[in-house]
Amino acid sequence: MTDTVPSRAEVHYDRHTPEYREQFEQVTADMQRCPVAWTETYGGHWVISDHKSVFDLARDPQLLSSDHDPHNERKGYKGISIPSISPTQTGILEMDPPDQKDYRALMNPYLSPAAVARWAPMVADITRACLDEKIESGSIDFVDDLANIVPAVMTMALMGLPLADWVIYCEPAHAVIYTPPDSADVPRVMEMYFGMVAKLHSELEAVRQRPRPGLVHALVTAEIAGATPTDELLAGMLSLLIGGGFDTTTSLTAKSLDWLSNNPGERARLAADLPGLINSATEEFLRFFTPAPGDGRTVTKDCEYAGQQLREGDRLWLSWAMANRDPEVFPEPNEVKLDRTNNRHSAFGLGVHRCIGSNVARAIYKTMLTQVLERMPDFVCDSEAAVHYPTVGVINGMQHLPATFTPGTRLGDGLDATIARWQQKCDDEQLANPVVATGA
Amino acid sequence: MAPLSKGIVMKAWVDADKCQGHTLCAMAAGEFFVLSDVDGHASAPNETVPPELEAKVRLAAGGCPEQAIVIEA
Ligand code: SF4
Repeated sequence: MTDTVPSRAEVHYDRHTPEYREQFEQVTADMQRCPVAWTETYGGHWVISDHKSVFDLARDPQLLSSDHDPHNERKGYKGISIPSISPTQTGILEMDPPDQKDYRALMNPYLSPAAVARWAPMVADITRACLDEKIESGSIDFVDDLANIVPAVMTMALMGLPLADWVIYCEPAHAVIYTPPDSADVPRVMEMYFGMVAKLHSELEAVRQRPRPGLVHALVTAEIAGATPTDELLAGMLSLLIGGGFDTTTSLTAKSLDWLSNNPGERARLAADLPGLINSATEEFLRFFTPAPGDGRTVTKDCEYAGQQLREGDRLWLSWAMANRDPEVFPEPNEVKLDRTNNRHSAFGLGVHRCIGSNVARAIYKTMLTQVLERMPDFVCDSEAAVHYPTVGVINGMQHLPATFTPGTRLGDGLDATIARWQQKCDDEQLANPVVATGA
Repeated sequence: MAPLSKGIVMKAWVDADKCQGHTLCAMAAGEFFVLSDVDGHASAPNETVPPELEAKVRLAAGGCPEQAIVIEA
């Protein structure tokens, strides 16, 4: 018997280059001619770019593993980043069921729509304070002065960490994502990032010593598969919550505001009918910008899919961003239609790993967008001074987005005072407790 | 969309094995789909779709990212 290597559909695909960002629509159209294809980059991996295949494959965790096993205790799989960079497991995202399901069940009551609704007054107030800091001046950086802050403070709140500490995590959380792997700045950024991880380790200990409600408490008291998780795993989980909580919503907000500034007619339409359009517009911006553009997997068994031979151990990239531009599912996929229906996008992923923070992200995003449209309706972003992430391999985001607008009047106190007030409320009312089933 | 012709009742429900709690169905047809407080997954407490909600329920089914909503007319 001869052992022939099956021929594979091969393409060149490198999402960590500036060209990929600049030519995304063309690259997507080219890739979708061969939507299940092998590329040699980063040690070789499959790239899945059409909606149907992404939909099928993402929902089959038996066939595709997310596991990251840096200590070679299972199969040595490399997790969800391509290339694999982290020396540790990135929390629940790099886990398979059943453990993944147990962690998720543990965290859901902090992040469900009902849980998130409890935080609406805080989100509105922090957003209000961010805008108040700038409203009299007529100029704002939508990233530095707004979109970096609200998601970060909210993430602190959900975790049960001191709200004012958002500032400690902010730069490392963003820089580790936007700094390209070949940048001269990598050592400094990694040092900052490891400083952040060390800080999270100390928070684990602090919450063990003096319990306070929140996701950190849920995790340090967890028992999964009959054992308590190691601190390495827990720190990975907390880093993931910070990474997921901080950078993605920031990116979506900045990209949307930039687009609305460039499309004033559509902005006026949205502002005139926020109740009617905010939900569909949010989903459309999620589809169009797809802040988290994809996830890696490892094939667990030899099989054929779409005429290609996948083999056990093969790495595979599920491109949410490209699937979201599939004309078969999204007519005129490269147009933003604020009232798009049947918008079954995969911006939060699909299947068991669907972004657990999606309800938080939507709530914060809608609040920020609404308040900006209400209080700074004529904002003009300075496209020359805007800084997009140079590459979008990990997150499709922005570092700075300065804008000007007609000045307005303040409505309340400043950001520091507002954060202090909410810290008091969190402590007094134990706001970060999980929701409990009402049995209804 | 016009309601189905008289006598034919539209039914819809959520396949719990497929639903991952994207919550879009409750945005499209909040009168019909209910989200669990604890995990945000959807269910339809009453599978019979009132005629005035048929269009909305169809939109919800078309927009469900996991295609977890089953419709039977
Ligand atoms: S939209 Fe689909 S996946 Fe989301 S909650 Fe509804 S049924 Fe579940």
